[in-house]
Amino acid sequence: MRLMALLGALMLGLLSTHRVNAAVIYAGQARAAAVCSQCHGIKTPSADAPFPPLAGRDVAYLKSALAQYRDKTRKSDIMNAIAGSLTDNDISNVAAYYAGLKP
Amino acid sequence: MKITKKLLSQSVITCLTALLLPLGAQAASDDAQKMHKLYEDNCASCHGSDLGGFIAPGLNAESLKGRSPTALRTIIMTGSFDTLMPPFYGRLSDDEIRGLVKHLQSTPKLANPAWTIDDIKASVKVIVKDESTLPAKPIYEIDDINNIIGVAARGKYGRGSGSKAVFINSVTHKQIGEVATGTAAHIIDYNPANPRWAYVKNDTAEIFKVDLYSMQVVRSVKTGFNGPGLGVSRDGKYIMAGSYVPHNAVILDADTLEPLKTFELEGIDPDGKMVTSDSGMVIGTPFADIFAIALENAGQVWVVDLKEGFPVTKIENVGRHLHDAFLTHGGSKLMVASYDDSIVTAIDLNERKIIKKLEAGCVPHVGGGAAVEVDGRTLGFGTNFGDCDKMVVSVWDLDKMEVVKQVPVSGGTESPAAHANAPYVAVDIISKDRRARTIQLIDKKTLEVVKTLDVGGHAYFPEYSADGKFLYVSAGYSGDEVVVYDSTSLEKVASIAMESPAGIFSHGRVKYMTRGLSPDEFENASKMKGAK
Repeated sequence: MRLMALLGALMLGLLSTHRVNAAVIYAGQARAAAVCSQCHGIKTPSADAPFPPLAGRDVAYLKSALAQYRDKTRKSDIMNAIAGSLTDNDISNVAAYYAGLKP
Repeated sequence: MKITKKLLSQSVITCLTALLLPLGAQAASDDAQKMHKLYEDNCASCHGSDLGGFIAPGLNAESLKGRSPTALRTIIMTGSFDTLMPPFYGRLSDDEIRGLVKHLQSTPKLANPAWTIDDIKASVKVIVKDESTLPAKPIYEIDDINNIIGVAARGKYGRGSGSKAVFINSVTHKQIGEVATGTAAHIIDYNPANPRWAYVKNDTAEIFKVDLYSMQVVRSVKTGFNGPGLGVSRDGKYIMAGSYVPHNAVILDADTLEPLKTFELEGIDPDGKMVTSDSGMVIGTPFADIFAIALENAGQVWVVDLKEGFPVTKIENVGRHLHDAFLTHGGSKLMVASYDDSIVTAIDLNERKIIKKLEAGCVPHVGGGAAVEVDGRTLGFGTNFGDCDKMVVSVWDLDKMEVVKQVPVSGGTESPAAHANAPYVAVDIISKDRRARTIQLIDKKTLEVVKTLDVGGHAYFPEYSADGKFLYVSAGYSGDEVVVYDSTSLEKVASIAMESPAGIFSHGRVKYMTRGLSPDEFENASKMKGAK
């Protein structure tokens, strides 16, 4: 019985997180499609591409890396230019989207 | 004409200089050769081996005149969003990119390179020597070979490991096989007489003969440098392939892929000028032992009889800049799209003459076309990919050969899908913004758009499964998946991952000839029974 209740609570928890994240992930996917997918793919980069895959990467890492690229504290000609257009919201959404994909 | 002459003489001079000039200048042309190699290895499959453009714009001194080298370098580095142009950052060095830009901005479009019947013959590769060793039936579970759907996957870079033809069972939506095509796969055609053979053509004009039972390539041949034209004769004995570069077409033995005859594509265009021409659609028909081929620039359709000497009947003045086409009435009538005068010309393949020119939208691209029977009428659907005020899908009565309706849609369209058992005609919106993610569905009876699907990625080339129960759509460009919908509920039922999927080709096409017609159209027409 307790197990059931626990499971129920867990499920509810999972469902509600899912619901909260859903909008964010959808927005993240749209932004990723427009800004990142050209190199990193909408799920995974081309097998022939020199770009790192992002699917399933740690969300905090993705957020900090993107913010650093945007703020030019981490140097990369191409990433500084591309991340430069992202807002804080975009960064959270995009990071949530890629982090949530199965690698 | 003057420009062509000038370009020609320029390239003659360039060739001569390369031969004659002393060492210093030779170094410069070595460099040009190096750059041309780089272009061939990275750009030519889309932009054309002659720098004149293919599925992507031409890149030569004329077309790039006045463009900022910095802007061009940026496009090469980062790619171009909402197009197939991939980022070459990390694949080409900064020096190579600079060199390419400089080379292309100073090189005129090249003269038509030679690719003769001997070159074609020499290019035949035999991968499976003894075809009797192949399995007698499919090595995978499938109820009906017509349930196979082939997808032309371009691969992100238009070449490499992502470039392949992928075959899917359209009942289970699971991949059953794939064959590598080196460069982007473009067209998949099936042998109407023997269900085991498929032919895949890639963007560098190589054709692969594929054994669908064992899912492997048994032979290949290179028919030119670029060009998608490919058709198979109704008896399954011949293949005809047409090229953009060079301006020729070839008939091959469908069994051995050995070339039998080449055709130089040239003729007098509707404005009275003698031109050499890209090859547009090449089509075999269940109606007769013929091929029809569209000469894009010459505005002519040639009908080739599959008999001794392969004689040609030329139909002139079909339109300005022809492209693709579809068959109707048992394959005896051909509807040919003409870009520049926004018409679709109906041709009688029996009489070998023009029946009528029908109004289309702007820049008609019928993409294989669709025809459905509704309330006793055969309706043809034509997509139009120009972006203009009049964004419509044209609907024609194919019995009376008249316009029934121009159905307003949300943007330019490239390819319609229809099936006798599916309620909607699906068209892909390709306008370069968010609309490109969508497919619109036109109700067969009301002839109005009733639903818009957001597929994600650049959604194009819809195709119904042979039973009509499922609608397959490529989410190309940034989508990298093929998405499957239930044809009636339009619920998404599956997704199959691949790089840059484009054209989708159901094996069922050999049964219904043109998508949307009743399933046994091909057989009926071949027997000359059911043809109306």
